[in-house]
Amino acid sequence: MRNTRREQLERLLAYLISLAAILLTLFPILWLLSVALKSQRDAFALPPKLLFQPIADHFLALLDRPGFVEAFLNSVYVTALGVSIAIIIAIFTAYGIHRFRFRGQKLFGVWLLLAYMLPEFLFIIPMFALFQRIGWYDTHIGLALVYQVHSLPFAVWLIRSFFKEVPGELDDASKIDGCNHLGALRHVYIPMAAPGIAATAILTAIWIWNELTIALSLTFAEAQTITVAVASFRGYTSINWGQMSAASIVAVAPMLCFAVIAQKYIVKGLTLGSLKG
Amino acid sequence: MPAAARNRVVYFLIAPAVLILALTSLYPAVYSLVLSFFNWNWGNRFDFIGLANYIDLFSSAEFWQVLYQTFLFAVAATSLELVLGIGLAVVVDRLQFGASVIRTLLLTPLMVSGIIVALMSKIVLDPMLGIVNYALGLLGLPPSPFFGATSTAMATVIMVDAWWQTAFVFIIVLAGLQSLPQEPIEAARVDGAGSLQTFFRVKLPMLRPVLFTVLIFRTIDTLKVFDIIFGTTGGGPQIATEVMQTMAYRKAFSFLQMSEAMTVMVIFSVIVLAISLIYMRLEERMEAD
Repeated sequence: MRNTRREQLERLLAYLISLAAILLTLFPILWLLSVALKSQRDAFALPPKLLFQPIADHFLALLDRPGFVEAFLNSVYVTALGVSIAIIIAIFTAYGIHRFRFRGQKLFGVWLLLAYMLPEFLFIIPMFALFQRIGWYDTHIGLALVYQVHSLPFAVWLIRSFFKEVPGELDDASKIDGCNHLGALRHVYIPMAAPGIAATAILTAIWIWNELTIALSLTFAEAQTITVAVASFRGYTSINWGQMSAASIVAVAPMLCFAVIAQKYIVKGLTLGSLKG
Repeated sequence: MPAAARNRVVYFLIAPAVLILALTSLYPAVYSLVLSFFNWNWGNRFDFIGLANYIDLFSSAEFWQVLYQTFLFAVAATSLELVLGIGLAVVVDRLQFGASVIRTLLLTPLMVSGIIVALMSKIVLDPMLGIVNYALGLLGLPPSPFFGATSTAMATVIMVDAWWQTAFVFIIVLAGLQSLPQEPIEAARVDGAGSLQTFFRVKLPMLRPVLFTVLIFRTIDTLKVFDIIFGTTGGGPQIATEVMQTMAYRKAFSFLQMSEAMTVMVIFSVIVLAISLIYMRLEERMEAD
């Protein structure tokens, strides 16, 4: 049949395009990995050396680079702190918005969205000035707090859309059983929306781990994050490709592992948030 | 539970969020607005100068060029990402097996920090030592200076952003396609419509709300671009890739012109928030239809 023939051709073409897209997507990352494992001479060789003696020197050198290991640990800490604050507060806020009608509700919703949309430097410069005065500049808590401008509205919005999926009868049933609001939240909403809350936490963690703009302006040494440490390799004079690549690989590896393990949650979070609004 | 008590409960529930957002978004917005009428340069002097900062900016050619470049970047990157992302979603939607593995692999750029994308692209696109120029040479094509020349730098950062964020459009449109009702699509096929026709006449119109959401997110996000440009060109060569956020960064943290930087951000925030509000209105209207 002519039609099936044509469909087969279309399918073949679809696989070829997908393959090309995958190559284009993965090539720069794999190239970065190869540069991290090459000696300086091999890294600059043209034609490129596809077969080379991999070395760990660049990764080992990172251990001696002042502040690099600390920056990695800072990122772990700030991410944990920022995600905890966002998720805990967002659960209560989302429940409030979902379960009640109150004065200023619409305004509150618009505020959440606009806060999320704000260009970073509008709030970075005043927060920089404020933190310098009160001693919160270059601290983990200061950074985690400023991250809430973005993370909190995001988490509220997403968790609320997961709460919407909880059947209303369950909520009513819990009320009849004598649960108050905290009880309903604890026994009905949080367990029912647990996968969604996990997805929200994962996406928030990825965002905070990868964030540069705010961390660059509000941290210096004590609370410097991994992205700021990686950014310090930038600049035209020092072309230390090997170390720059090794640092990038170290910074991106946790997120790539995350992606493999939590892929289902990531897709769920990304798509539900946008499909249901 | 009585109605009045309910009201009080909700204010307790949302109070922490209100407090945090007041401190981190409302306070700085007001602070920036007020300071934009002063000439504060990170010292002890705060002289009220009225609209002087605004007049200075509006009468500088640099400001208008940077504003234009910000929009150029946003419009070009968003369009490119939408076209590529939709195309890719349609293609992957047709796959019968391996689709979930392919989807996972195509999602990887979203896991990578912007600064790493920037440094990676500097290695791959290095004019002298980069693999891309070497490959162009093998194909008999002339090398490009990429980030190194005013004529090519903007196009290059747009390309880099597309590599990074097309996956976002892709994953959401793919989910949208997979959740479409099957009946209208089947009906079109029975009527003898080809796959292209089915896509443009049936699927695309049904996807409109999803596409609109993606459009909002990508527009706002690309307008606010910082790390990709900071990590590659730093706004250069000269100011060929300078955008609003890199301009504010440079003014504030390189030159300590705090009031000027805040004036730039006040103007820019008004633009971004106005666009967000217009989008929200349009979305409400679409939902009402």
